[in-house]
Amino acid sequence: MILSAARRRLQSRAFADERAPEMIASRSFWADAGRRFLNNRMAVFSVGMLSLLILFSIFGNLFSRWSFEEIDWNVLGRIKEDGGPSLENGHWFGVDELGRDLYARVVQGTRTSLLVGFIAGPVSVMLGAMLGALAGYYGGRLDRTVLAAYTIWLAIPYIIFFVVWQAFFGRSMSQMILVIILVNWTAGLLIVRGQVMMLKNREFVDAARMLGMSDFKIIFRHLAPNVLWVVVIYTSIVIPEVIMMESLVSFLGVGIQEPNTSIGALLSQGASTMTFGTLWQLGFPAAIFVIAQVSLFYIGDGLRDALDPKER
Amino acid sequence: MFNYTLRRLLMVLPTLLILVIFAFYLMRLAPGGPFTSERPLPPAVMANVLERYGMDEPLHVQLWTYVSNILCCFDFGPSFSQKDRTVNDVIAQGFPVTLTYGFWSAVFVLVLGIPLGIIAALRHNGFWDYTMTGLAIFSQIFPNFVLAPLLVLLFTLSWGLLPGGGWNGGQWEYVVMPAIALGTSYMASVARLTRGSMLEVLNSPYIRTARAKGLPERTIIIRHALKPALLPTLTYMGPVFVYMITGSVFVDVFFSTGGIGQDFINGAYSRDYAILLGLAILYAVLTFALTLMVDLLYAWIDPKVRAGLS
Repeated sequence: MILSAARRRLQSRAFADERAPEMIASRSFWADAGRRFLNNRMAVFSVGMLSLLILFSIFGNLFSRWSFEEIDWNVLGRIKEDGGPSLENGHWFGVDELGRDLYARVVQGTRTSLLVGFIAGPVSVMLGAMLGALAGYYGGRLDRTVLAAYTIWLAIPYIIFFVVWQAFFGRSMSQMILVIILVNWTAGLLIVRGQVMMLKNREFVDAARMLGMSDFKIIFRHLAPNVLWVVVIYTSIVIPEVIMMESLVSFLGVGIQEPNTSIGALLSQGASTMTFGTLWQLGFPAAIFVIAQVSLFYIGDGLRDALDPKER
Repeated sequence: MFNYTLRRLLMVLPTLLILVIFAFYLMRLAPGGPFTSERPLPPAVMANVLERYGMDEPLHVQLWTYVSNILCCFDFGPSFSQKDRTVNDVIAQGFPVTLTYGFWSAVFVLVLGIPLGIIAALRHNGFWDYTMTGLAIFSQIFPNFVLAPLLVLLFTLSWGLLPGGGWNGGQWEYVVMPAIALGTSYMASVARLTRGSMLEVLNSPYIRTARAKGLPERTIIIRHALKPALLPTLTYMGPVFVYMITGSVFVDVFFSTGGIGQDFINGAYSRDYAILLGLAILYAVLTFALTLMVDLLYAWIDPKVRAGLS
């Protein structure tokens, strides 16, 4: 019944007229990809979840009765009994082991983790992509140098560098972002280099060169748009990795300085007190972490399906 | 093959040297030091302490002493924060611990990951396949530092089956959770990778030929499909070992196993230059050794690669 109605509609003249302009207009690669992405229900749902999380981290404090560093002396001695999530005293997520409002702290931690992820991730991919493009385009000694540095860098577990840097140069958020970019500059390098090496021998690059364009212009005007899809996919993979990296070092205690916090630091504190029966201190940060990772995972998946020519 | 090994080994020393120089200057140029505290030491005492550790000399002289001590006598110097121990003591005590559960974790990754991947490929789109895909996503979302508290919550706090931390000379109860926490996400990656390559191999023409000859399925899988299907998994083991070394720092801290990760983090807190440098070198050497091992194994198994090397 519904099916036949749908079929009638699809075959009707009105439908054809209505859709004709859209069909005739040539569709660009990105419009095409956007359409494919929107058809992926899980990815669209994840974008919604992530947007909610971002809104939560920005505006969450409006609903909080406490600030993230204020100690509630009323519950401090009896956290296990009175410190749990409650609507009466305004601690929606309960309090942490020092009697501070966990809701406000989770808002603050989410903000830190997302900011670090969404700044450090894209910047490090851009850096790697730029180096990769230069190495691939010019080849020769530059290429060999970059590749050698890449190999050496990958052979050193990043945690060494990370811990040393964090412990010695203070633990502010900008330091954290800086060190993540320094650790992660290899992200996306190899694949962009490969793409550029393949593209630089194509006719359109020859044509551009014959028209007298400078190398710089060729790279940014002609090659960059053609490798953009790789960069987008890679960024979507690197952002959750960066958030994870940040959480790991925060868990190890060399993350962002108290009283500021991040999801990793909250997880660590929650894990250290779980023997006392205050499980909400672990549960809420863990839930936020899982929501962020799940939605980023499916968004990345959707982007890969939408953009990668091999997936089509 | 021999030349290749030699070349790789020759690469190790310069790389380590770069790491040492870089880390050395990074630490020394940062403000503060192992002997700065809330209440500053009197200048005379400070000068004495610095002289005792050879820190009154110019930086490049100190660096030279450090490197030459390692090269001549394998001496990584005294620890700054733990007065009666040398870095060699710290490593001798902590490294076996990390190595033990690291080994069992690697066993867990391979012994569970590979069969899971193969079963998932054989039962393509079946129950096991979906279970495994679920597991792969699960492990991506629950990295070791989320999984470890969960494991403790279940096995220690709820069921009381396993101790929640400590080492106790490496009895098996104390090894289980660190090994699982460290390995699970890589186990899932290995399974997913094995599944992918197994599916590809099973669809290739020579497997169809083998089937057409009427070989039993078991022979086809074991004799014909397995070896080529495992090659991508093997290449992936290099990065896995590197990740596991990173993860071991966390496991040491979380489970208080007494491994070197704990010393590393404490060293960072107390600005113990000697311990930090010594352990950084150890981690880097370990990484080189493991990746080289994987690469050589790969060349040994895959004739195409072996031909490319020589």
